[in-house]
Amino acid sequence: MRHYELLTVLKPTLTEEETKAKVNFIREVLEKNGANIAAFQEMGTRRLAYPIEKLERGYYSVFYFTAPTTAILEVERLIRITEEFIRFMSVKYENQKEMAYWNRQVEKFAPKVEEEVKVEETLNEESPKEATTEDLVSQEAVSVEDKVEVETKTTQE
Amino acid sequence: MAEKRKYARKYCKYCEAKVEFMDYKETKMLKHSLSERYKIMPRRLTGNCKRHQEMVELTIKRARAAALIPYVVNTKQVVATPFDLLNQ
Repeated sequence: MRHYELLTVLKPTLTEEETKAKVNFIREVLEKNGANIAAFQEMGTRRLAYPIEKLERGYYSVFYFTAPTTAILEVERLIRITEEFIRFMSVKYENQKEMAYWNRQVEKFAPKVEEEVKVEETLNEESPKEATTEDLVSQEAVSVEDKVEVETKTTQE
Repeated sequence: MAEKRKYARKYCKYCEAKVEFMDYKETKMLKHSLSERYKIMPRRLTGNCKRHQEMVELTIKRARAAALIPYVVNTKQVVATPFDLLNQ
């Protein structure tokens, strides 16, 4: 298992659903070939530095993952076949300094599912127990503050 | 006629910033080493150290392949502010 990063550029002419489908397609292919996707960075549509296939813009997305070497071959083969991908770039992270950067990027863009779930759970527990209006209002205020705190924490990280 | 040195002594800006790894997606970092026409500037003009120059070369080539930086800027494409692309 080695550490990789895969950047893909999709055509801007696709609809949102189609772009999502294509991104999920890559995700599936990677996971099917034994890859662990650590993080996903969405760079969005941005101007290309030079026209590719007469297109001026492209939809950028980046995967950070660990995978066996065969997975990369397979993904690249499929990306080459699929017309919607204009460009791709896979980078291998090997030595210590590169790995350190990879870990930092993963921390930055890793899916923050756990924290959100925790917040929801606490809200569900608290709100139905004491249902007087004043309490609700105060709790809502508190929960809003909590949310703000969580957000600030995530941004600080 | 020996001319006096007019400019400040050159130094490696990446050493100063303590760059350990350059990401080709962060094109702002490559600004110091690109000419107005997006050529890779030689070490004798930028003052980069050898280690960082080698990193810069690799990352610029990667960024070009990913269409984040142009390969060439010809006379037709020249714009008033050439580094606009980097600030996206």
